Amino acid sequence: MNTKDLISMAVRNLLKRKLRTVLTVLGVVIGTASIVVMISIGIGMNESFAKQLEGWGSLQVIDVSPSGGMSYDEESGRMKQEKKQDPLDAKAVETFKQIEHVEAASPVKTSYFMIGAGKYVADANIMGIDPAAMEALGYKVEEGRALTAEDSKAIVVGGGVEFYDPKLSWEMRYSSEPPQVEILDKKVDVSYDWSYGTRYADKKLKTTKMEVVGTLSAEGNDSYWVIMPIKELEKLQKARDDWEKSKYGGNSSSNRNQTKEFDEVRVKVDKMDNVQAVQQQIKDMGFRASSLTDQLEAMKETTKMLRIVLGAIGAISMVVAAISITNTMVMAIYERTREIGIMKVIGASLRDIKLLFLTEAAFIGLAGGLAGIVVSFGVSQIVNLVAMQQGSNMTSSIPVWLYAGAVAFATGIGILSGYLPAQRAMRLSALTAIKTE
Amino acid sequence: MGENIIRIRNVKKIYQMGSESIPAVNGISLNIRQGEVCCLFGKSGSGKSTLLNLVAGLEKPTEGQIIFHKKHIERMNEDQLADFRQKYVGFVFQSYNLLPTLTALENVTLPLIFKSVPVKERNERAMEMLKAVGLEERATHKPQEMSGGQQQRVSIARAFVNRPPVVFADEPTGNLDTRTTYEMMDLITGLAKQNNQTLVIVTHDLELSEYADRIVMLQDGRIEKIEDRRKGKEETETAAREKGTAGKAEGEDGHD
Repeated sequence: MNTKDLISMAVRNLLKRKLRTVLTVLGVVIGTASIVVMISIGIGMNESFAKQLEGWGSLQVIDVSPSGGMSYDEESGRMKQEKKQDPLDAKAVETFKQIEHVEAASPVKTSYFMIGAGKYVADANIMGIDPAAMEALGYKVEEGRALTAEDSKAIVVGGGVEFYDPKLSWEMRYSSEPPQVEILDKKVDVSYDWSYGTRYADKKLKTTKMEVVGTLSAEGNDSYWVIMPIKELEKLQKARDDWEKSKYGGNSSSNRNQTKEFDEVRVKVDKMDNVQAVQQQIKDMGFRASSLTDQLEAMKETTKMLRIVLGAIGAISMVVAAISITNTMVMAIYERTREIGIMKVIGASLRDIKLLFLTEAAFIGLAGGLAGIVVSFGVSQIVNLVAMQQGSNMTSSIPVWLYAGAVAFATGIGILSGYLPAQRAMRLSALTAIKTE
Repeated sequence: MGENIIRIRNVKKIYQMGSESIPAVNGISLNIRQGEVCCLFGKSGSGKSTLLNLVAGLEKPTEGQIIFHKKHIERMNEDQLADFRQKYVGFVFQSYNLLPTLTALENVTLPLIFKSVPVKERNERAMEMLKAVGLEERATHKPQEMSGGQQQRVSIARAFVNRPPVVFADEPTGNLDTRTTYEMMDLITGLAKQNNQTLVIVTHDLELSEYADRIVMLQDGRIEKIEDRRKGKEETETAAREKGTAGKAEGEDGHD
């Protein structure tokens, strides 16, 4: 018997008992829809966490810092000295770039400089990075543009960096609104003299003119930073060390800045799902690594129980649906005993009989699955509407794989539920079957 | 008449009813020849239907061998039996056994569907068969829209559509009136003879044995008598002729 005949015969048989077929399919619809909706709420929750975290920075970026400090040992419950690993230097950056799924890696050095724009100044945390990697690292440039490989004397200023009038006293500074300073596409003065702008400033010291090519969003982890090419930062640090030495003599305040080691390396991973794996690889090399996905994982962990319960509710209705498919098929076999016998006598193979019943069960599953995802879509819309009105983050989100998976799953459940009845039909004795009146 | 297509060797079928053993078929040996119309005749309970079921592979014998060509039917498993029925056997039943939801044409195509014959070919063959049984006008009718005789014609068309070497008919006219019975027997034996197919008919109606080449009379699970009508017919015909001429001669003699 060929597949086409098998399918048309199965569909005919189902249509013959319309009401019962529809009722059984309805069970599958409810089962499928409840699983899909429950899973979608779980996914929706995770997505809203991710969205929340994305406001803080890119979820695809791993911050790597040097090891060698103290860390908490989970096994012994004590603090322990980490063994010193390879330095976090240019070589390490190259190694990170070689890891699979890593799109970009940039060294990071941080410092603290003054920025002057007209009569206003700002105390700025400076982050020196590889300008070529800025775009990839996911800094949220609000206006202007990110740094590029060609940039040297260019900076991008975080939206949270506040300017003030250095001539004012502290009290006046905090009681007044921070001034709005237009700096985009303007040249600003960068100085490592902390007294810059005040009367204590070193008048002989020349500032470095840099162009503000872009600004970052005022929200998120990077908003208080000023981003600059790392080469420029290193130049400024060196100049500062020389200046401090000449001014105060003796040791420079920041020896570390002169080593080849970076404060941090930022690694961009191609997909969020790969972040944890890459992070682990970096940890295995002996570095410390953290990313926003750590927080995401923690959030997911806390809602895991809730998601399991939701999934279980869906699963129960699917089990009920499966039992009802089996019941329908067993009933069908009782009713069609004679028909099965006739088919066997006139040349149906055992396989034909078995496949016929399996196909019927599969179609019940398939129809239920298809209708189920349509219902799920509707329910999901309603859940989101209600969530929006209530301001809840319990949203529902159905990715394409869930739709496809639900249909496949429902069909699979159909086949599984039909297996026992099909086996039974196959084993019916042809003779007793045709004798049944 | 051709070679033996089915050889039955000392076949027994014993049913267990509690502690009692009931032998339905009790040691039957019989050869069925290619192309013959063989009638299994007997009263109810004589074991004729059981014998048919055994030969058709619907039941397993308790003892003995049933050999179709060179294949042992009693040794076949369910899969092999299904294959055997599909390739070599057609069935006509007393109660027609048509699928009620299918049309006449669909019922006739069913064996071809199980054999994976392409749609066009199987519809042509089924239509041809319906024509042969005189029901081409009824092709799209469902069984309940037809008379008993018509339903049995459909079932005959279904049994022959696959051109099986053997067709088994179990009381094929049991539900039909006398006139239809003769029509049906003419049809079924005609079709069988046309393609040199072997026909095994089970009946308790002696009149049907008119159509048989051989009549196997059964009683209490054993063969009581085998009547070779073909030989017999030829003999009686010759005898009658001789007798006739002789009688005529006698008569002439007498008159003279």
